[in-house]
Amino acid sequence: MIGLSGGYRSALIIGLQGIRARKTRTLLSMISLFLGVLAVVVVQAGAEIAERALLSNVDLVEGIDGTRKLYLPADGKAGEVIMDTLAGRSDGVGVVSFGPAIIGEPGVAPLNPGAMPFDQMGMGFGAPVYCDENGCYDTLPGTVPQPPGQAVELYLNGLTGDIRSFKPFPLLSGEWLDFSGEPSLAPRIVVNKEAAKFFSAYSIPAEMRLNGAIANPTPRIIGVVDDGQPWSPAAYVRADEIANWMPPNAGIAGPMGGGFEVFMTPDSHELEQVLTSRLVAIGIPAEHIGGFTVNTREAFETQLLIMQIIFLGMASLVLLIGVAGILNVGLATVGERVEEFALRRAVGTPRFILAGIVLAETLLTGLLTAGAAIAFAALALKVVGPYMGGGGYIPGPENVSFPWQAAVAGVIAGLVGGLLGGLIPAIRAARIPIASVMRA
Amino acid sequence: MTPPLIELHGVTKTLRGQGEPRPILKGVDLTIGAGESVAILGRSGSGKSTLLSLIGLFDRPDGGRYLLHGEDITKIPESRAARLRSSEFGFIFQRFFLLKHLTAAQNVQMALVNGQGWLSARKRRAKAYEALERVGIAHLAKQRPARLSGGEQQRVAIARALVRQPRVLLADEPTGALDTETGNLVIDVLHGATQQGCGLVLVTHDADHAARMSRVLRLDDGVLHPDGVGTAGTASPRHAVRPDTTRHHEQVLS
Repeated sequence: MIGLSGGYRSALIIGLQGIRARKTRTLLSMISLFLGVLAVVVVQAGAEIAERALLSNVDLVEGIDGTRKLYLPADGKAGEVIMDTLAGRSDGVGVVSFGPAIIGEPGVAPLNPGAMPFDQMGMGFGAPVYCDENGCYDTLPGTVPQPPGQAVELYLNGLTGDIRSFKPFPLLSGEWLDFSGEPSLAPRIVVNKEAAKFFSAYSIPAEMRLNGAIANPTPRIIGVVDDGQPWSPAAYVRADEIANWMPPNAGIAGPMGGGFEVFMTPDSHELEQVLTSRLVAIGIPAEHIGGFTVNTREAFETQLLIMQIIFLGMASLVLLIGVAGILNVGLATVGERVEEFALRRAVGTPRFILAGIVLAETLLTGLLTAGAAIAFAALALKVVGPYMGGGGYIPGPENVSFPWQAAVAGVIAGLVGGLLGGLIPAIRAARIPIASVMRA
Repeated sequence: MTPPLIELHGVTKTLRGQGEPRPILKGVDLTIGAGESVAILGRSGSGKSTLLSLIGLFDRPDGGRYLLHGEDITKIPESRAARLRSSEFGFIFQRFFLLKHLTAAQNVQMALVNGQGWLSARKRRAKAYEALERVGIAHLAKQRPARLSGGEQQRVAIARALVRQPRVLLADEPTGALDTETGNLVIDVLHGATQQGCGLVLVTHDADHAARMSRVLRLDDGVLHPDGVGTAGTASPRHAVRPDTTRHHEQVLS
C-alpha cells in the first residue's frame, strides 16, 4: 500500500470489499477467464520449454551462428589437403568422421551395437541389421555372432584443431585435447556424456577397434565434454593421432571414413578460397564442395517466434471469450450497484475512483485467475514432466521445469483480461448520476 | 464581514427528458448562514429534492448563481464538486442507502474512504466510532444493516453524514420511511448536530419537524417562499423571513 495515493488505496480497499461481498460472482468471473489465461500460460511455457530444448544445444551440435561451414566428400587425398591446409591455423578446424569405433574387449559384441544410447541398451533399437533377398539378419550372413562383452561402440570424430571456438563444448571433467605437441601413438580421446555413462557403469579395457586401422590402438580417455548429443555415444580425438594407425596411402579417413566438415570463422574468406582451390586442383569437383554459413539458432528462433505468435493468437481468442464473461458479470454487477456508486459519488468520491473500484475488482479477479492458472500449469507440468522422454530435439525432463516467463505471461494475461473486462463497467460506474439516489 | 455559507441567486432548473421540458425551479433565491437550520416544505414534485441536489452539487443549475462562502461555484468542474461534497456537505436520504455487506461502522467509514485524502484504518475506525457515538448507537458498530431497525439504520446514515464533520447537513425527507416516534428521534439527532454548529437543510413533509428548524420555507411552483406565503400554504408563519428569500416573491407580486 506504500506509495499508492489515497485515491488508489480507496479504490483497492473498496474493490477488495466488493470481491469479498460477491464471492460467487468473482468465482464465476474467474472461471470464465481461467481457460484464456491458462491457454496463454501453456503457450508461453511450451514456447520456453521448446526454446530451451531446441536452442540449449544448437551451438554445440550445429556450431555458433556466423560460422562458415564446408562439407567435403570422404576422400583420402582430400583429407591430406585439409590436414595440410588447416595445420597450425586457428581460423579453421576440420572434423573427420571415422565412423563407429569399438573400445573394450577384443572379439566381443559391444554392449550397444550400432552405438545406441546407454538408456536403450538391450531394447533392440539401433543394432545393425543385414538384409539380402532371403531376409534380414542380426549378423552378416556367413559370420559367427560374437559373444557379448565389456565393450562400447561410439562415433569417433577426428579434429585438426580446437573445435570449441566453433562448437563451445563445456568440459565436464578431465581436460580437453592438446593440439600443440606431436601426435601420440596412444590416441588421447575425450568422450561425450553419453559415452561416459558406459565407462562409468562397466569396466571397459582400453583397446580400440577401428574399421580400416592396421592395428588396435590403446586410447587414453582424458576428459568428458557435453557435445549436445544425448542420443549417441561419441568421442573426439586428434585426427593425426588416428592417422598413425591407418594404412599408408589410405588417407586420414580410412576406408570407412564418413566425410569431412570444415569450420571456419566468418571472415576466413582467404582460407576458404585456398582450401577450395586446392581441393579442385586434386580433382574434387567444385560442385561437391558445399559451403554455407551457420544460422541455425536464428532460424530456430524465427520459427519458434512464428509458432509462438500463432499459438498466442489462438490463446488470445480464448482469453477474449473469458473477457466477455468478465464484462458480462461486470455490467450486471454495476447495474445492481447503481445506488452504491451514486452514494459514493454523493459522499465525495471522484468519478475516476469509482472507475478504479470496478477496475480494481476485475484486475484483482484477473490476478487471482492468473495465480490459479499458473499453479495449475506448474502442477500439470510437474506431473507430466517426468514422463517426457527427451532425446534429439524433444525436450527431456531436465528441460521441463516451469519457466518464469510463463508465469509473467499469465499475470499479464490476467491483468489484460481484467482490464478489458472491467473497462466498460468502470466507465458506466463513473457515469452514474448522483441524482439517481435522490430520486430513488 | 464573513459571507454566508450558501447563497443561491435566481437559480433555475428544467428537467429535460422524453416529452416537453419541465421547469422545476424558476428562480430560487436562498441564503443560509453557517450553523443555520432551514426546513423546506412543499408538495411532492415541487422541486424540493432538485433544489437539495443543486445545493449538494449533485447537479448544476441551468441559470442563476450559486455561491459557497462567497465564491461562485456555479460552474466548477466535477472534480472540485466532489471535493466540496466531501468537505462541506453531509447527505441523509429518505432511504438509508446502507451497504448491506458492510457493518454499521464500515458504512460510516465509507465516507472516509472516498479518495479525498487518506486516513489510516485505525483513525477511520476511531472516527466512525465517534460518529456512531454522536448518534447514540456506538454499541451497534459491528452490526450489519439487516440486523438494525429503521431508526437505527437512519442513525447510521446520519453518522455517515457527520463523520467528515461537514458544514451543513442536507437531509431529504429523512423521516419519510419511519414511524412518528422514530422520526422524532431522528430529528432529535439532527437537531443535536445543529446545536454543535453544523448547518441543516431539511426537506420534509412534516410541519412539526419543520417547526423545529430556525427557518421554514416552502417551495411552490418552482419558487421558494417563506412558510405561509405560498399559494397552497397551510402552515402559519412562525419565523422571521429574511429579505433575500422574499425578494423574488416580491418581484413576482409587483
